[in-house]
Amino acid sequence: MTSPIAAYDLGRIPYREALEFQRRAVMARASEACGDAIYFVEHDPVLTIGRAGRAESLRVSERELRARGVDVVSVERGGDITYHGPGQIVAYPIVALSGLPSGLDLHRYLRDLEEVMIRAIATYGLSAARRPPYTGVWVGDQKVAAIGVAVRRWVAFHGFALNVDPDLGHFDWIHPCGIRHLGVASLRTLLGEAPPRRELLDRLRQSFAQVWDRPVTEAPSLSPLPETLHA
Amino acid sequence: MPVTIVVPQLGESVVEGTVGKWLKKEGEPIAKDEPIVEIITDKINIELPAPAAGTLGKITVPEGTVAQVGQQLGVILLQGESLPAGAQAAPAGPQQSNARPPAPPAPSPAGGAPAREPAPARAGAAVAEAPSGEDQRVSPAVRKLLKEHSLDVSGIRGSGMGGRVTREDVLNHIEAGKVAASAGAGAPAREPAPGAAPGRAPVAPQPLKPVPAAAFAQPGSREEVVQPLSNVRKKIAENMLRSRHSAAHCSTWDEVDMTALVEMRARLKERIKTTYGVNLTYTPFIMKAVVRALREFPILNASMTESEVHYKKYYNIGVAVHREQGLIVPVVHDADRKTLLQLAQEIEDLGGRARADKLTLNDIQGGTFTITNAGMFGATASTPIINYPEVGVLGVHLIQERPVVRDHRIVIRQMMTLVLSFDHRLVDGTPAVQFLHRVKELLEDPESWLLDSI
Repeated sequence: MTSPIAAYDLGRIPYREALEFQRRAVMARASEACGDAIYFVEHDPVLTIGRAGRAESLRVSERELRARGVDVVSVERGGDITYHGPGQIVAYPIVALSGLPSGLDLHRYLRDLEEVMIRAIATYGLSAARRPPYTGVWVGDQKVAAIGVAVRRWVAFHGFALNVDPDLGHFDWIHPCGIRHLGVASLRTLLGEAPPRRELLDRLRQSFAQVWDRPVTEAPSLSPLPETLHA
Repeated sequence: MPVTIVVPQLGESVVEGTVGKWLKKEGEPIAKDEPIVEIITDKINIELPAPAAGTLGKITVPEGTVAQVGQQLGVILLQGESLPAGAQAAPAGPQQSNARPPAPPAPSPAGGAPAREPAPARAGAAVAEAPSGEDQRVSPAVRKLLKEHSLDVSGIRGSGMGGRVTREDVLNHIEAGKVAASAGAGAPAREPAPGAAPGRAPVAPQPLKPVPAAAFAQPGSREEVVQPLSNVRKKIAENMLRSRHSAAHCSTWDEVDMTALVEMRARLKERIKTTYGVNLTYTPFIMKAVVRALREFPILNASMTESEVHYKKYYNIGVAVHREQGLIVPVVHDADRKTLLQLAQEIEDLGGRARADKLTLNDIQGGTFTITNAGMFGATASTPIINYPEVGVLGVHLIQERPVVRDHRIVIRQMMTLVLSFDHRLVDGTPAVQFLHRVKELLEDPESWLLDSI
């Protein structure tokens, strides 16, 4: 399997719009209307609650959040509650599982997503790691990236959110992923300054290519998001 | 024939999932490959595609229930089919209550730590044969227990909902059977439990009840301090005895010249400590060697049932940790995919959390082989008990200078005795000895292979 994976940078788009787009893209991928792709995005502040979501993980009332313009969305991915906001790189790989080294081993798929980020972060001289049993990427006791994945027709969607330079105060709204005793960090807090987005995207693309052993090519931006996707 | 919907194999480390939303209702038409039900594992939500077109005939596992890999979730009726009359009346499938029935001792990180439960999850990994007939009235875990003891569910009175036979019922039944069996041997006679089938003695006897205190207490003679057994101790006792009663223990040992490894570690230790803050012990080196050798002798990384061998293509290595509360065996998952440094970090982290009672259930489950170090406290040899249902455990001992013969001369080398205990039911002597010899070879010449994995 050496067919290339197209990596798009969609820039900043509202969460719900991206969600609808992902769902269209999954169906397009499942029906072979298009190939594997990774969509990099950034969202306005939003809390998303996965299928394992628990009310206790939210520390502020939904009404209060909405009053501040923060959307709260229930989604089909696994995992508990997650914050997305400006300063994060969110990646949605929409890929057929059969073409990846992990195959249908879904836990390995998660481990590979972690590996992609660990390698990209390592290029900045920062040693990030896994922290079993929790999914995600950590530096010491602090989480720098969250992962939540869904699979429909054996196509993966949703993905990860890497904290580059978000407002870490926003994480106080939740117990990220339901984990209460561990903290949250960003590349900015860890490195002293945030790496430029374009550079980091480039390194993430390279890591994806290494970990999945597939060429990852930079694709032209899509604006507006297309209603239908083609090869 | 109606087509069953089962939880598919979703990866070697996934043995169960929670049934999320049913995306279709009973009676609703479905197209092939259309998503019908969600299975939720820790971070992934999978929508299972329909294995065939038809109508959703029956949902046997409701939303929010834990289901094992291989378990039936529901039935799709092909065109023109209807549910067999019996099926409709039957109690809903191999269903479990919300809590998993073989619930391991609550892994409360704060309270009594779990000693290792004999991985109930394995029941799922061994893709259970499609449940049929009366078997459907029991959960997969109970079915496994019945199978382990060659019992028939019909002989056991169920106390669960609708007369369902629970795990407790089976254990009580086995216990009652034993009392009945020992009655002839002069033990206090007791009524065998109703339905106890005398002809069907358990294959693997359950741990026997400890001797009653009256047998050894001598009231008033010498001072004794009586303490209740902690839950951890009870669990350890149970697991040790289960292993002893279930596996055919056999041990083989070999002398390893650790001189090269001692020097290598001495060179690396300081740098690793200052750079990464990790204490580099011998365990990660030994784990690396073990994983290499396991790849060459897969039978040592297997488990067995009455009729099958399960070769595991993953290498989850348990490391026995001594602590005040009692022995525990946290597991380094996927040790084959980790660098020496990662192994060192993880072993240190697991050891620390074990002693602090901070292990999670995942930390102690899923092991495929175990390493135990009695050398830490000075032992030069021991015969470890297998961490059942694994089939091998490697005992590591004190490294000490001993006189050995090299080229007709007596020289001083850093020597260590390695002991392999193996389950002789599954593992013959030859592969056991060869495996141990391979570990020895690797440890004696670490530079030849370790450099590519640091």
